[in-house]
Amino acid sequence: MDVIGDAPTMSAMDPDHPLARHAVGNTGVSICRFQDFEDLYADLPLNELTFSHSLPPGAYTIAALHRIAKRRGFDPKELRGSTILLPAYCEDCSYQIHMPYDLRMRLALDSVEFAATEMPRFHAFLEDTYYISDGGLNAVEEMALGFVEIREIVRTLIERGIDVDSFAPRIAILVNCRMDLFEEVAKIRATRRIFARMMREEFGAKDPRSWSCAITAHTSGLSLTMAQPVNNVARGAVQGLALALAGVQAVEISCFDEAYRTPSQDSHMVSLRTQQIVQLEAGADRVADPLGGSYFVESLTDEMERRILDMVEAIESKGTLKEVSESGWFRELFQNAMTRRAEAIQDGSETQIGVNAFEIPEDEDNLLRDHSASKLEPCWDRIDEIRRFKDDRDAGAVAEHFARIREVGAATEGNLIEPIADALEANLTQGEIAGALRLGVGEAYDPLGQMEPPA
Amino acid sequence: MAAGRPIRILLAIFGLDQHEAGAFAVARLLRDAGMEVIYLGRFGTPEIVVDAALEEGVDVIGLSCHSWEYLYYLDELFELLKERRLDIPVVVGGSVLSQDDKKEIQAKGVAAAFGPGSDAGDIVQQIRSLAETRGAP
Repeated sequence: MDVIGDAPTMSAMDPDHPLARHAVGNTGVSICRFQDFEDLYADLPLNELTFSHSLPPGAYTIAALHRIAKRRGFDPKELRGSTILLPAYCEDCSYQIHMPYDLRMRLALDSVEFAATEMPRFHAFLEDTYYISDGGLNAVEEMALGFVEIREIVRTLIERGIDVDSFAPRIAILVNCRMDLFEEVAKIRATRRIFARMMREEFGAKDPRSWSCAITAHTSGLSLTMAQPVNNVARGAVQGLALALAGVQAVEISCFDEAYRTPSQDSHMVSLRTQQIVQLEAGADRVADPLGGSYFVESLTDEMERRILDMVEAIESKGTLKEVSESGWFRELFQNAMTRRAEAIQDGSETQIGVNAFEIPEDEDNLLRDHSASKLEPCWDRIDEIRRFKDDRDAGAVAEHFARIREVGAATEGNLIEPIADALEANLTQGEIAGALRLGVGEAYDPLGQMEPPA
Repeated sequence: MAAGRPIRILLAIFGLDQHEAGAFAVARLLRDAGMEVIYLGRFGTPEIVVDAALEEGVDVIGLSCHSWEYLYYLDELFELLKERRLDIPVVVGGSVLSQDDKKEIQAKGVAAAFGPGSDAGDIVQQIRSLAETRGAP
């Protein structure tokens, strides 16, 4: 099961933030407090299912899941699933959480360290290269940035004295899949090679499970078009096939209406059926690495491996990850990729059927259009619900935990996950915890200047 | 607009719509066409946009939208423009704009709307003509 937050949740912001007012609950689930996690998993056997969470910064999810397991009376060690970590890039692409580099990195490191002992079956270290690349990065840039971040997290955890084999088996990568079938297959094959060599030779991992990384994939939303939306079903099938041939462990095919909006339940079903057709009718996953040995795929894999490693080296030679991130280099890369992609579609150097080739007049383009264009309203009631919740809770406990988060945020030592779990249980919200952490490191409580601290 | 100076356009994104790809592409396009682009970036509200439009003396307000938030913010924006008696034309562009959306927002007062696949030359031409017509006798 896949959990994706709405825009405020993805921005570590509460629904009652003035800038969240028209974005609550219609692009994902609104989660800002402990009770929301409890409601989300109500009646679901958490120790039997796996949940993948696209809920940055990940630390909240880990803290909440750990406490829910204890409350329900099972061992958190049984928890499976994943959360994304994007310490280096989340300020520069898509949703900003408005935290400085050191704080984002600390939340990521503390999450992995905590889960390594407390939730060892849980993939607390999911490198999401989809999230960073779907603005227009190419396959080489996607994986190079992913590896730069993985390498920094692994190096720093080892420096903290943590055994690499205690967390490396639970590193997973969530990759993008664009439309170039062979390039995407070669990218994933190259990724496995690079990961295995790096973990064994550079980081000294001894456990063979540390050398293989689980790879999961979402198909590119950017590859989908508003024009002739039914064509997106065909795109999904090709991408699903590419991913099956590349041997990924899990797939989510983006839905045909995704160029319009948050996908509907019906379009999700079409995506799921597409995956089932690829697997059960076409039998694309019958053997491991079915394209291995093909002249083209092998040479392309060699080329992708070389180009990814060259770019990793080029980025690392610019300075520490913190320096490169703070210099704005990544932000510029993301921005240039976006414009580069828009220009490639505009000038036709990248073919997109229905957009710059084989177009049909808009008034004739009706198949699946009405379905795709129907909208979901924001959940404005949720804003009032959260306001009432904040007014009604125990102000003393809120003040106490707010001060504690601020304090542990200011300290450089000590793991943040337990204090965050305590604060969530004391009814502090994610937005408030983010604000307290920011105050701890000398930043503004609300960088957008609209909210006051609760205590 | 004042003669002899380039067209000035404000580009902004409302709320928590954090996708900037379209805004960057359009900013580059308009700049290359000789216009002055004041890029306000993300996290805009109607108040922030109107204040900036006044301060910068722009000829056109451009809004980039890749979520539905603009639908609701547009109502607030037009109310605010009316309240302050401003007649700056508002243009909207974005990946989520369908044909029906274009009709709906043009009925609300949007001067021009550009969906995905809009022709670059047409975007420049329409914005230029809006800026040039504005304030003309």
